[in-house]
Amino acid sequence: MNNRSFGALGNSALAVVMFAAIPLWFVMLKSSELGWDQWQQLWSSRLPELLWNTLSLAVLVTIICFILGVSAAWWIARFEFPGRRYAIWLMVLPLTIPTYVFAHIYTTLFESDGWIGLAWTGIFGDSIPTPDIYNIFGATLTLSLAGFSYVFLMAHAALSVSTQTLEEAARIQGAGKWQVFLRVNLPLLRPAIAAGLAVVILHVLSDFGAVSMLHYQTFTLSIYLQMSGRFDYQSAAGLSLILVFLSLTFLVLERFFRARQRYYTSRQTRQHQRRPVTPFVTAMIWLWLGFITFMAFLLPLAWMMSWSWEAWIHDVINQKFWQYAYNSLLLALLCATLAIICSLPIALFNNRQRSRYSGALIQISSVGFVLPGPVVALGILSFVLALLPFLYGSLFALLIALVIRFLPLSVQSQDASMQQLTPSIEQAGRILGATPLENLRRVILPMISGGIASAWVLVFIDTLKELPATLILRPTGFDTLPVRIWIEASEEMLELAAPAALMLVIGTLPVLWIMMKNETKYAS
Amino acid sequence: MFRITSIVLASSLLILTQTLQATETIVIYSGRSDNFVKPVINHFSEQTGINVVLHAGASTALLNKLSIEGARTDADLFLSNDAGTLQKGAELGLFAQIPAAIANQVAPNYRAPDNSWVGLSARARVLVINTHNPLAKNLNSVFDLADPKLKGQVGITNSTNESYIAGATVYLLAAGKEKTSRWLQGLKANVEGKVFNKHGMIVKSVASGKLAAGLVNHYYIYRHLDENPNASIAIVLPDQGKDGIGVAWNVAGIAITKHSKKRELAEQLIRYLVSAEGQQLFAGANREYPTREGVAASAGLPAAGSFKVADVPMYRLGTMRNETIDLIEAVGMP
Repeated sequence: MNNRSFGALGNSALAVVMFAAIPLWFVMLKSSELGWDQWQQLWSSRLPELLWNTLSLAVLVTIICFILGVSAAWWIARFEFPGRRYAIWLMVLPLTIPTYVFAHIYTTLFESDGWIGLAWTGIFGDSIPTPDIYNIFGATLTLSLAGFSYVFLMAHAALSVSTQTLEEAARIQGAGKWQVFLRVNLPLLRPAIAAGLAVVILHVLSDFGAVSMLHYQTFTLSIYLQMSGRFDYQSAAGLSLILVFLSLTFLVLERFFRARQRYYTSRQTRQHQRRPVTPFVTAMIWLWLGFITFMAFLLPLAWMMSWSWEAWIHDVINQKFWQYAYNSLLLALLCATLAIICSLPIALFNNRQRSRYSGALIQISSVGFVLPGPVVALGILSFVLALLPFLYGSLFALLIALVIRFLPLSVQSQDASMQQLTPSIEQAGRILGATPLENLRRVILPMISGGIASAWVLVFIDTLKELPATLILRPTGFDTLPVRIWIEASEEMLELAAPAALMLVIGTLPVLWIMMKNETKYAS
Repeated sequence: MFRITSIVLASSLLILTQTLQATETIVIYSGRSDNFVKPVINHFSEQTGINVVLHAGASTALLNKLSIEGARTDADLFLSNDAGTLQKGAELGLFAQIPAAIANQVAPNYRAPDNSWVGLSARARVLVINTHNPLAKNLNSVFDLADPKLKGQVGITNSTNESYIAGATVYLLAAGKEKTSRWLQGLKANVEGKVFNKHGMIVKSVASGKLAAGLVNHYYIYRHLDENPNASIAIVLPDQGKDGIGVAWNVAGIAITKHSKKRELAEQLIRYLVSAEGQQLFAGANREYPTREGVAASAGLPAAGSFKVADVPMYRLGTMRNETIDLIEAVGMP
């Protein structure tokens, strides 16, 4: 292979990663100002509780997301039942609702005069009080509903393209249905499920919206409170550093378990046939899928619509509102496009090298995702002011921060799609005389276009929903829909927040459609 | 794909080169809800032709931003709902002095000692009680909320709420550390781990009879009564009488940023905000008390001066803030 082009690719990957690590430098710099006794105090007073709260939340959300995501993916990918195509949609629609909106809606629904609260008293009477959701239960509920779709997506994609041969072999050897599932399907699905769960866990570790709304003390919330309550950047940075360490450990572990899992399947093998089912099973499947959809989408949607109607009457949806929508859309378009361009060298480099170094680059590039949004924002703010002051005040600083935040989503997704890029394909291109760039344009990009499209969509959706970094870094007077939701909701005026939340859902639909089109291309 | 990319890049260039350089525009970093600020701002803009951009956010986050931005900031003014945050900004040296002729229109209690910020509207920390609940009958002090009789009957917000911290600071200064600490411990036992995120929910729970009493800002009670005129709740102005410490007060206020390049316009806005008309609009939007003497509060509110207010200058809410947070954390308030 050509060493020079290798170097160029490696260098650009390194350059992107250095950029992505800016918030990490900031955190290291700030926490280096912490004295030894301050570290000790942090350690003894807060850490045990924060670690416990954060980790137990992550574990619970992971379990729930696994159950919801894999069960739905299994049925939808393996069985033929009426309405199956709609079911795929229903399982990804919750992605359009931000965690803070989920938290917001569910706190309102669980209040004594909220819909769930009323239903609860209707069923159980006054004797059993409505469950309190300002705790780990509420945080788990909202984060699971907001996140299980990632697991569904990855598991569904993997199930749709997996072949029947291995399963049949196992059945011939006398394995039962469950045995096949546990010993053949699950191991085969492991990389996909792990990737989905990794995205979920990273969302949990970095989530700020839901935990702050529910006042559940995780690292992120505590970091924010250190900064806002006491203006204590150093302690906030110290806690952030520990959070980064925690997340990186997790990512390394995840990679480690995934490392030995590479399957090259040839396209000739027989694709799976979906099994038709009896009306009874159809009813059972729809009962389960319906339940998920109801909790994760229909209920929040109904709430948003009913409050938006009030807002419509009060004339909240005016010209300014459309300006906010436009701002959100522009930001998401720019950020998603930049993110896939930036992540391409990292993913390609790792695909070629598969070395410890390239793996490390991927891990470091995920720093932006695990650091709390406000910390990323302040890091970028300091960086831009120190080195690129002429760009300050434009969209630029915000764009850098958002690209850094969501780069890992894009890297992960592209990296996964490159698994099918076997070395032989590239070599074939080179043998036929293609230059590296030509190879990239004519062979590699078309092959991974599906991965790029879903990377683009994932970043788009997350940018559209992003709040904490946008709140701090947006140019003066540049309000997005999430910012408006936050502003209106902070004064306890819920009806004003509903139209913006609804608009987010509507705005995400077209891009979801792009992704789903991609998805079903293989599946049908 | 590539066509989309190029369109996106072209439009981004367009945006990136745009700057906010309209001549007669001033920018406020605002930690107060837009809906309460807009009426008075719109009036100001109509009268003067000066365009005012409200850049909303959490007060403390905006202060952080202001401090990191330094001379690069767009902000000409900083507006916050909390005197503690304003004083913190003054301590960080982020504000310019407001000319005495403007600042003096507000009583000294409601502004920084060095005139680096002025209070614009005051709110009272009061009790909301359920009028049918016998337990609530004789409540007349915030310290009564710690009475074991009220176990499971008291509503307070979580301890990161800025109004809650400000109130605790006032009690700390007016009644002493020991009494406040004991009060917090009693409260902690009484709320049994259940605290509220929203003041509105406390009022609602008291109205529905689930709680006997709650500690809230006065306007939340009136907001509830607007929608439910027959709700069985009443406002109690606590700690009156000869021995009472008086009601805890907190102010929303405004400051001019040190690096503002439009100081005159900023001063013009503050001059308007402390004028009789500006005061009526600013405080009236959320039914708070004007800080300028002689301007009446909204109809229906107990008149200012008709009740006793704790004798604590508002800037102390900033200087004492960390001590209050320390105390709250030491007690372990949820």
